[in-house]
Amino acid sequence: MAQGFLAIVLHAHLPYVRHPEHRRSLEEKWFFEAITECYIPLLMVFEQLHAEGIDYRLTFSLSPTLVAMLEDPLLQERYRDYLRGLQELTRLEKERTAGDPDFAPLAELYRKHFDDAAAYFDRFNGRLTGAFRSLAEKGCLELITTASTHAYLPLLVQRENIYAQLANAVQYHQAIFGEPPRGIWLPECAYDRGLEEIPAELGLQYFITATHGLLYASPRPKYGVYSPILTKSGVAVFGRDPETSKQVWSSQEGYPGDYDYREFYRDIAYDLPLDYIGPHLHPPGMRSDTGIKYYRITREGLEYKEPYRPEKAREKAAQHAGNFMFNREQQVKYLAAAMGRPPIIVAPYDTELFGHWWFEGPQWLDYLCRKIACDQQHVKMITPGEYLDLGYPLQIATPNPSSWGDKGYHEFWLNGSNDWLYRHLHKAAAEMIALATAHTETDKLTERALGQAARELILAQSSDWPFIMTAGTMVEYARNRVKNHLIRFRELIRQIKENAIDPHWLGELEQTDNLFPHLDYRLYRNMETTVPVEMPAGASIP
Amino acid sequence: MGHTEISSLNRGRSLPHFYDEDRLVILPRDPRCIFAYWELSTATRERVEKQAGGEHQPFYVLRVYQHARNDAGNAESYFELHPGREDASWYITVPEPDRLYSVELGWISPQGSFQVLLHSNKIRTPRDSISEIIDEEWQLPDWKAQKLFRRISLHHLSSAEFMRRVKK
Repeated sequence: MAQGFLAIVLHAHLPYVRHPEHRRSLEEKWFFEAITECYIPLLMVFEQLHAEGIDYRLTFSLSPTLVAMLEDPLLQERYRDYLRGLQELTRLEKERTAGDPDFAPLAELYRKHFDDAAAYFDRFNGRLTGAFRSLAEKGCLELITTASTHAYLPLLVQRENIYAQLANAVQYHQAIFGEPPRGIWLPECAYDRGLEEIPAELGLQYFITATHGLLYASPRPKYGVYSPILTKSGVAVFGRDPETSKQVWSSQEGYPGDYDYREFYRDIAYDLPLDYIGPHLHPPGMRSDTGIKYYRITREGLEYKEPYRPEKAREKAAQHAGNFMFNREQQVKYLAAAMGRPPIIVAPYDTELFGHWWFEGPQWLDYLCRKIACDQQHVKMITPGEYLDLGYPLQIATPNPSSWGDKGYHEFWLNGSNDWLYRHLHKAAAEMIALATAHTETDKLTERALGQAARELILAQSSDWPFIMTAGTMVEYARNRVKNHLIRFRELIRQIKENAIDPHWLGELEQTDNLFPHLDYRLYRNMETTVPVEMPAGASIP
Repeated sequence: MGHTEISSLNRGRSLPHFYDEDRLVILPRDPRCIFAYWELSTATRERVEKQAGGEHQPFYVLRVYQHARNDAGNAESYFELHPGREDASWYITVPEPDRLYSVELGWISPQGSFQVLLHSNKIRTPRDSISEIIDEEWQLPDWKAQKLFRRISLHHLSSAEFMRRVKK
């Protein structure tokens, strides 16, 4: 019998980056890289584990914007095209490095990497959501959702905003994955008091906060972050374990910085002459990562890098998985004795760490699942939903407002680089709420215009835009995205109010900003004019 | 591919800087800082400037109120900040975590009294330490019996709307 539990939660999110107006865009490449480097390698690991009968559990949060991109036929086609380009490049690379003892095996590694990704993608006819769904149905993954466009909820202010962000996410998740999610990932783990009432109403049973979201909860939680608390509205709140986070994330002590692991920053895009590599770059001719990287970290801050040795890196991944497991065993033994009941260690990570930043991340996770299943008895993998089903009484408390961002509160999303945003976002939301409240029933064209207005607003609310503005790269892109969506929103509401909707222009917007085709503008109705009604079991709203 | 250009999707429009309305909003940044942004409509500005008298610019004041922990009664205390005429936002350092704050924007009349122009929402700053409250109350919810709700309009509350929208 296990003495405690480990819940690894992978949060997968990308902002909605779909640009039909450009033939190739750098932003769409973020998405393509994440598919090749993270989602497909992880899915392949999970499937293999299941095929071998390894008992493992992981929780996967898939953001609705990411799901919408995975479901989009244009992006699927463009991904195939992008991948074909890389497959060709790896063939050229095999010729170029032929006979080189260091680099020829690496060129072959990438050849296989991209060919495998292409085959896997085709196996699901380009719909990777099907792969996630199938693993969830087998009981290996617990799929949860997050706010529709990953809005930073504490800064949205109007409750209707938060409601629309979450209600649409739950409906969309159910439409794609067949089941409503049990839990919700709060974008950036950002919580403010009272937020829990909305997930409670939507039937969501849990969310996760930063460590101090739980540690500073009130009344003081008896078991710290090692047991969820229960809010008065009936939602359970799990807290992030600081130890597991440090072991993986820390830039000094974290595993991904090991010298044997692959160096992320040394890509052939920057090393090879443009006349050779140029046509294979995305967009063509612009030096940006191909994903083909031949060196290992070697030493920190050192220009000189040694060639990557995959077998050595694999050994390290296995060692690090062993070390992680050993630490969890010690942690669980200690905590179980101190608590008198089995602790749960909640370890959430950004999925894009695994495979993209940390190339060996999927291997590490593979070893970790195997070792936990086969090499010890103290720790058992669990999902937050399964933990709740075990039926431990939970202490009633209110979490503390917090986030997992820099400094622990809201500053990364609210500072001199991005604070101008909120005046516009709140104003637009107020207009949306007023219009939605006024238009309970309406004609087809107005209904479409209102739906598109809701789409533009919800796209403007992504936490990614203020995040990028603070981080300082691609700032122009983020600023333009917010502005474009808000301008389109304003023009839509002007047309609605003046009864002068331009159907041609509306159609173009629907084609371009096309996510959540069933987004219901009525979700924005003033909450004082609406009332929650219990849904019959198994019902869904079209 | 015949896709539409950004400028035509935006219909050549740009985002206004302000909306010509009276509004003051505060947001929590961290346990000791709140962010305030505001806007005064042209009408309000002109009224104030007229009352202030032609030769003097009105003297604007942000008044930051600290409320009782349980939000009972009037504000316990306040302090003032002096934004310039062109300012439209402010990072306000506040004395206490886990406290309720609200803000007013006003001006000092020629007679020397504080005239309120805008009221903000009320927010509570986050805690920055472990709670002193150690009451323990435990509960075991029935996780299988979780109920799902959907919102329908109160003023158009008809079973017709509900039945139409709920698909078994």
